[in-house]
Amino acid sequence: MTRLLSHLTQEVIVFLLAATLFLAAAIFLPGFMFKDGAFQAGNLIAMVRAVSVLGILAVGMGIVIIGRGIDLSAVAVMAMSVAWYLQMLNSGVPGWQALGWALAGVVAVGLINGFMVAYADVPAIFVTLASSYFVYGFVRSQLIVSDATPAPAGSWILELPNLGLVTSTHIPIDVYAFGAAVFVGFLFLRFTKWGRYIYLMGDNFMAARNMGVPVRPMTVLYYVISALMAFVAGILTTSSIQSMNVRVVNSNMLYDVILVCVIGGIGLSGGKGYMRNVVVGALLIGIMGNAMTIMDFTNVEQNLIKSIILLTAIIIDGLLNPRDEQTAQQGDI
Amino acid sequence: MSASEQTATAAPIVEMRKISKLYRGVPAVKEVDFDLRKGEIHALLGENGAGKSTLTKVMAGVVTASGGTMTWHGKEVSFQSPFEALEAGIAMVFQETSLVPSMTVAQNLYLGSEKFLNRLRGIYISAQQFLQSLNFAVDPTAIVSTLGAAKRQMVEIARAVHHNAEVIIFDEPTASLTPEEKRHFFALMHRLKSRGVSIVFISHALEEALAHADRITILRDGELVVTDHAGAFDREKIVRAMVGRTLSGEIYNKKRGADEIRKPGSRVLSVQDISMSNVVRNNSFSIYEGQITGVFGLIGSGRTETFKVVSGIYKRDFFAGGAIELEGRPVRYTVPREAVKDGIIYVTEDRKTEGFFETMSIAENLYSGLLAANLEKKAYISLREMRALAKDWTGRLNVKAINDNARVVELSGGNQQKVVIGKGLIQQPRIVIFDEPTRGVDVGAIAEIHQLINRLADSGLAVIVISSYLPEIMNLSDRILVCRQGRIVEEFAPDEATEEKIMYAAVH
Ligand SMILES: Nc1ncnc2c1ncn2[C@@H]1O[C@H](COP(=O)(O)OP(=O)(O)OP(=O)(O)O)[C@@H](O)[C@H]1O
Ligand SMILES: [Mg+2]
Repeated sequence: MTRLLSHLTQEVIVFLLAATLFLAAAIFLPGFMFKDGAFQAGNLIAMVRAVSVLGILAVGMGIVIIGRGIDLSAVAVMAMSVAWYLQMLNSGVPGWQALGWALAGVVAVGLINGFMVAYADVPAIFVTLASSYFVYGFVRSQLIVSDATPAPAGSWILELPNLGLVTSTHIPIDVYAFGAAVFVGFLFLRFTKWGRYIYLMGDNFMAARNMGVPVRPMTVLYYVISALMAFVAGILTTSSIQSMNVRVVNSNMLYDVILVCVIGGIGLSGGKGYMRNVVVGALLIGIMGNAMTIMDFTNVEQNLIKSIILLTAIIIDGLLNPRDEQTAQQGDI
Repeated sequence: MSASEQTATAAPIVEMRKISKLYRGVPAVKEVDFDLRKGEIHALLGENGAGKSTLTKVMAGVVTASGGTMTWHGKEVSFQSPFEALEAGIAMVFQETSLVPSMTVAQNLYLGSEKFLNRLRGIYISAQQFLQSLNFAVDPTAIVSTLGAAKRQMVEIARAVHHNAEVIIFDEPTASLTPEEKRHFFALMHRLKSRGVSIVFISHALEEALAHADRITILRDGELVVTDHAGAFDREKIVRAMVGRTLSGEIYNKKRGADEIRKPGSRVLSVQDISMSNVVRNNSFSIYEGQITGVFGLIGSGRTETFKVVSGIYKRDFFAGGAIELEGRPVRYTVPREAVKDGIIYVTEDRKTEGFFETMSIAENLYSGLLAANLEKKAYISLREMRALAKDWTGRLNVKAINDNARVVELSGGNQQKVVIGKGLIQQPRIVIFDEPTRGVDVGAIAEIHQLINRLADSGLAVIVISSYLPEIMNLSDRILVCRQGRIVEEFAPDEATEEKIMYAAVH
């Protein structure tokens, strides 16, 4: 029995919770999966898309957190880079050129985040908070004209949901993108030297530095990865709602992204967690958000419930996997 | 009636009967009986992984026993947390640091016993007085992360003493102290004893146990071998009880003849006049291939810092910081990575904060050395290679663990040390700096590690051994450097050096 219990890590608990919730919603919640007894795909597709966008952001965030960083600029980068990109397309900048500029901007933000953290030793939380405000303020005031920027008719972004692969399998493009992001993230963390470096840095930064891990370039690298993931997430958002509304920067989305990571079981103190934690976290948050919206919960109530779930997950994990007193004290948050 | 006979008759205040502790079904401690009497110093000895720390952690409520009973003042108890044990009057100083690195010394001392309103100045003053009363020269306003291993150890000791506990467990308290601090520590231990405090004292330095303990208990492979008066033991008897056989030869007492001393090879490292803030001051020395350079110094003498500068962990002063030449080529490292690439490896004295990766397995830790040094220039990792490497090195260093994928935190202290050493050597260094290489390592393993170090030097590497333990310095070194106030002040050849001369140079 205790054997069995010790396998109940946070990620397993969260996965079971998500599965239960899904079944319960499918059976008891009209409009979730069945309406008047008939299967309806509409809501499920909407849910899966929301989960995927959140999940892609969380892949980037997860990698950063495993390396003992945090990226508070992810949502701002997602919204502003894509809004600027659409704005350029709308005002007639040639497609490839616009994409080049947008990507350059995204990489630049990642580089600046990374350099400030790695070389100037500013705490990540301040650097990325500042760059979040800066990116939002600068793009909104200088580069785009209104909160919502529509995608120009006929743009490749709007064609994404009509790709042959998607129409033949009826699985939304977002799911493929999330799957690909998770898979690439998994290969990177698990099988490459750089992935190992990130775990080493997260586990014991001083030890990693002293033994010759290139800690500064690696820090820069993972902020760039996070920024690029944010851009991908932004493109997908646009493909489903045909525009990018930058007010999302002032929403709860960033907290949801961090929540996905933490609830899935990626430790904020670094060095702990895998891509599968991101998947289960995204599933739970996505299913919960969708079900609560159908049940007409207000935002405030939704946040309350999420916070309770998070606390429960953490407490259960703490009870099932107690830490050694002697080793528990360092590096914990 | 002598003092030790008196304590012999006193009633035990802690009595442990048939205590067992299983980790994943494997016993770390097997049905051990242990008792502690009022006002005695009870030494607990055994090889690495014998179960000393585990047994005492059960006593201090850090881990709960899988079987057996414990009585405290005659009443049966089972502490569920260290806090409960502390409330009852049992304090423990852990083998690895448990201080909060971002707080000051004084804040750490008062951690957990803060008043509702804490006046910083107030706690600094009382911390200062308290540390002085123990004869510990530590600045109460210093941030813990800036302190070296020895000072941290002193803060840990002070913190335990500060609780006014009836029982204090010291798990290898002297491992990183220099002779001077050790003297203060033992004086403190005897003062506590005369106040009626009972002490459990774990150490790998057998002569410390013989000199200071009233009784000695020896564990082997988690089982009790013997408990008896200290007077009933001598060094040889202890070793035999610990390892279950007679170890060939003494480790330390052999004096090396002039012909055994290695001649210096070519000069690989020349350090001229380096300075780093006010810890390292105008320090100059050279290091030669194919021999072991021993470095001795008291705490605060800057020996660790000097070699951290050499290995790129600290940066020397930008202006008037001196010069370092590696084989005639001037170098100025900004990160350790550059030094590692040049083959300079620093094996830390503080394995927990900057040595190993605690959530990872032994194999992953060892393999990380190879990856970080980037010796193979591969982009992907190979699990097969990792396993082979781990097998090779755990065999070579004789690392003992409950099973192969044990995480490093689950190893005993001495075995963790071996992993850290292995991780460094895997990087194929040309110059290797060992800072307290045998900290927390048992007698048998010390001999193995010394052999390893000797072999490294024989194979032509430049080896530097920093140690607070004079016999270790005397025994290993082909050349002895003494550090004081941030610089190397004297150099001895091992055949002319004596412990007195070295101590004199280190102090005056
Ligand atoms: N948390 C843990 N999980 C699994 N095994 C453990 C754990 N802690 C200790 N062990 C194992 O229990 C055994 C006894 O360890 P312990 O730390 O008590 O040894 P020790 O006598 O203190 O050795 P040392 O002198 O090296 O400190 C070792 O084999 C160790 O690997
Ligand atoms: Mg121990």
